[in-house]
Amino acid sequence: MDDDALIAAVARRDDTALRELFSRHAPWLAARLRGVLPAAEVEDVLQETFLAVWRGAASYRPQGSAGGWLWGIARRQAALWLRRRGPAELLLPALLAADGRHPGDPAEAALSRAELARAVSALGPEGGPAREIWRLMYVEDKSVAEVAELLGVPAGTVKSRAHRARRLMRAALRHHEPVREGGGR
Amino acid sequence: MNVELTELTRRFGRTQAVTAVNLEAGPGVFGLLGPNGAGKTSLLRMMATVLPPTSGTLRLLGRDPGGYGPRREIRRRLGYLPQNLGYYPGFTVVDFVEYFALLKDMPPGQVPRAVATAIEQVGLGDKARAKLRTLSGGMLRRAGIAQAIVNQPELLLLDEPTAGLDPEQRVAFRALLREFGQRATVIVSTHLVEDVAAACTEVTLMDSGRIVFHGTPGELIARGQGHGVGDAPLERGYSAVLAAARS
Amino acid sequence: MIGGDDLPGGYHDRGPAPGDVDLDRVWLGVAAQVWRRRPGPAERAAGRLLRSPGLARALVTTPSLLLGWVIATVVILIAGIGFTLSTGTPWVALLAPAVAAAGIAYAYGPGIDPAWELSQSMAVSDRMVLLVRALAVFGLNAALGLAASAASGAAAAVTFGWLVPMTAVCALALAAATVTRSPNVGVAAGSAGWVIAILASQAAEGRFTAAITDSFFVLPYLAFAVCCAAVVWYATRIPRGTS
Repeated sequence: MDDDALIAAVARRDDTALRELFSRHAPWLAARLRGVLPAAEVEDVLQETFLAVWRGAASYRPQGSAGGWLWGIARRQAALWLRRRGPAELLLPALLAADGRHPGDPAEAALSRAELARAVSALGPEGGPAREIWRLMYVEDKSVAEVAELLGVPAGTVKSRAHRARRLMRAALRHHEPVREGGGR
Repeated sequence: MNVELTELTRRFGRTQAVTAVNLEAGPGVFGLLGPNGAGKTSLLRMMATVLPPTSGTLRLLGRDPGGYGPRREIRRRLGYLPQNLGYYPGFTVVDFVEYFALLKDMPPGQVPRAVATAIEQVGLGDKARAKLRTLSGGMLRRAGIAQAIVNQPELLLLDEPTAGLDPEQRVAFRALLREFGQRATVIVSTHLVEDVAAACTEVTLMDSGRIVFHGTPGELIARGQGHGVGDAPLERGYSAVLAAARS
Repeated sequence: MIGGDDLPGGYHDRGPAPGDVDLDRVWLGVAAQVWRRRPGPAERAAGRLLRSPGLARALVTTPSLLLGWVIATVVILIAGIGFTLSTGTPWVALLAPAVAAAGIAYAYGPGIDPAWELSQSMAVSDRMVLLVRALAVFGLNAALGLAASAASGAAAAVTFGWLVPMTAVCALALAAATVTRSPNVGVAAGSAGWVIAILASQAAEGRFTAAITDSFFVLPYLAFAVCCAAVVWYATRIPRGTS
């Protein structure tokens, strides 16, 4: 059975089709997720992915690109997971690299972490546009196009939100008032 | 010790089905061999708390099954596959395994995952939602094994579990037994001698209600050296011991 | 179990699973949710009331509580109402005990449960299941019968009078079914016993409704029911079978 037929069968509540789909696709989906997440989280996200496949198979339009559809679901589940659980420490490497500092000194690192936590909260509430942009572009290192697709907004909006987020962070970290626009990435 | 039997006897009217059996078993896989009518099924039934003994003492999982409370505790930790297991034809495999999981007092929150695990362990994953009436004899037997293992029992009693299984499935089943035997006491009653050789660490041979041999498969083979009848070493040991017991 | 060893052609080049991800464990998590059965409201309520999800599940799978059976019972009782209203004889009171006896015989026991031996090794004991199922069937039949009896305009003595004989007849049916391991024998015994009681009272007192209304019989009925219950108790204690 090809993938399109399998997914159609899953839409008809055929659990053996889901099992076959899992057997074929879980390995490479796991490998791709592993590049972004730790192993234990890959397992959770992969489980949620296939449960989402079970629930949402009816919405698949057969275009021969089952792999792409599956990866789309996996990526959404991964993003959901990160939104729920991403710890503040993930932001530290991204931020320090951006500022040219390196976390060699533990005291410096500890100070940076405290400063960072304060600065991050200056971006607004968790899940808000600025925080999301920060996490996706600077922690997950996604391209503008990928972020635009994930959030479902135009690329221009992504760029301007990213710009604003950088401004706020820089200002909070330097304890200054917001700098006029002009600083780039 | 999960099983401690002392002078265990079971009579039905005038017939002595089991006579003065002494047995001790900790974790591991134990084979129970013997001809038809040897008393294997009655012994297994007593250990499954389905049949009370006529005399002697029986301690299972450190408890005396005579009392209601301890018996219930034993049964929660027990897995049993009778020789003849009927099926509810309208049930699916999942319904069947889940029904007995619930009757074993498993906490409902743990049941779905335990059921899925048991079904996959016996290789019925692609038949999980098939109705039992559509399954072959071997598949039904495996469904029976699944209900026996669903609660991760500490005492697993299987009466002729491989009936209807093809050789490949028997190999998979023996691997399952070895895995369980690491933590639990697994007692397998079978007349297929090769099942015993492959999976069991100890073998008990019964004849006419009594134990006539207890030891490792190697020791049983040794008894058959140059004496017994049979194609395989274990079969020769088996027949040699039986012949000696009856003479 | 699940693996990627024998995948069709094109999937290999997307790469194997990473070594530290347990795909079998992931599948079990998916399967657990996809395969799970979600109990209905009646079963959940029964589980809380009986404080045992297993007992609740056994209750809702009672053969004689299934929808088809209940509908048949209602149809018979409605027919009884019809006959009563047209002929004046309290047919409902005469039919209800027999119908209940049939229901009880088909509730549980070695004849009706194919996995009987396995059920006897369960933590939720088969006697508890028997008790709960028998009470449920009896209660349902009593409620339906009372409603039907009242609807047919029968006198109060007749409306309630058949509950005691019904108890006796059900106990007889259950005892026969358990001892002979056959629900059909149970139904036959219960029905026959009831017919005999009716005919005997007809012969003794000239009307067969005496079997229902005569308070002389109350104690004998109850004593009989207790004896039958004792038989059931004993029969469920020691399973038969040799070797």
